[in-house]
Amino acid sequence: MTAAVSRNSSYSMALVALFAALMAVMGLIPKIDLPLGVPITLQSLGVMLAGCLLGARRGFQALLLFLVAVAAGLPLLAGGRGGIGVFMAPSAGYLVGYALAAGVTGALMRLLPQGTPMRTALSAFIASVLGGLVFLHAMGIAGLVLLAQMPLEKAFFADLVFVPGDLVKCVLCAVVVHTVAKALPDWQFGGRER
Amino acid sequence: MGSLYSEHLTWLHRWPAGRKLACMAILGTLLFLLSAPWALAAAGAGCALLWCSLGPATRVARRLMVSVLVAAGLVAVFHLWLGRPDVAAVSALRLACASTLGVALTVSTRPTDLLLVLDGLLAPLARLGLRPERWSLQLALMLRFTEHFFVQWRRLDDAHRLRTGRPGGLRLIAPLTVQMLQTARRVADALYARLGG
Repeated sequence: MTAAVSRNSSYSMALVALFAALMAVMGLIPKIDLPLGVPITLQSLGVMLAGCLLGARRGFQALLLFLVAVAAGLPLLAGGRGGIGVFMAPSAGYLVGYALAAGVTGALMRLLPQGTPMRTALSAFIASVLGGLVFLHAMGIAGLVLLAQMPLEKAFFADLVFVPGDLVKCVLCAVVVHTVAKALPDWQFGGRER
Repeated sequence: MGSLYSEHLTWLHRWPAGRKLACMAILGTLLFLLSAPWALAAAGAGCALLWCSLGPATRVARRLMVSVLVAAGLVAVFHLWLGRPDVAAVSALRLACASTLGVALTVSTRPTDLLLVLDGLLAPLARLGLRPERWSLQLALMLRFTEHFFVQWRRLDDAHRLRTGRPGGLRLIAPLTVQMLQTARRVADALYARLGG
């Protein structure tokens, strides 16, 4: 790289790359089973966190970088999956939706009120539900309809199975945001200007 | 970090990454344009031949392929349950064929070669003021720090086990995230010191 970078640009590059790394680590951590036997993999939590912590643009870029690495053949998805083949599976809608959902979550987080850690956590919960759950699941349902040729109604009901687990992840996202707000009081959630 | 690339050389390894990617894009599009079960069955036979021709090179991706075939099978069962055998055959064959093409590309192409193709494809964006070359730097940073954060997570988990006798699980996400954000600030300073102007 020859061109000089600004402070803001180097900050963006570092955040995007390191968040993509965190997303990869979330795929390496073994899945965790809830008491009712529902498995939780952490990568959709990563989508919510990317939006809330990095904002729309950087969150989108971080997830896009992660997906490029997956497409290049690195086994970074939960269960050691990777390669272009995973973008042709019935769940490809969710995968493609990761980057867009992080963007939507980040845009909502920027609009919602912040101030105290508790208020920021509540905003993170709302942004995660709308961006990381409703929007991401809409993308997933679209993928099921287009790739698996499921009727819309059936795809919707098939998708509902994953909603309780993802609601738990929205709560987890709010808890993580609360912790970050207390540990790093100067952190600008939702990509607000520093 | 390992990849799904196989070091066991096959005829497909000798093809340039760009040609393989272009073929996959064309064949993938054709698969989604075809809707006759017999045509997709022929495509399925072709994909099976392709898979067999790669021999032991496919070993690294067998688990992935089994999961793809199980998913395609579930889709077929679902459509059969709805009484639509034609749709069952078309959707399951299409998914299995497209995934086979993708996996064949993955096992026979180094990630770095695919990223070079991507660099070439994104190069025209430089005229719009975007910096495609930063992707390479960010990807290198990402791979470097994946290992770093995984080690951090293991350390946090070990410390939690020592204190409580139980694995840390979800409790470790918040401290790991805080560590990531703090590290990002230090890396940003280092990048600015090295590349800033």
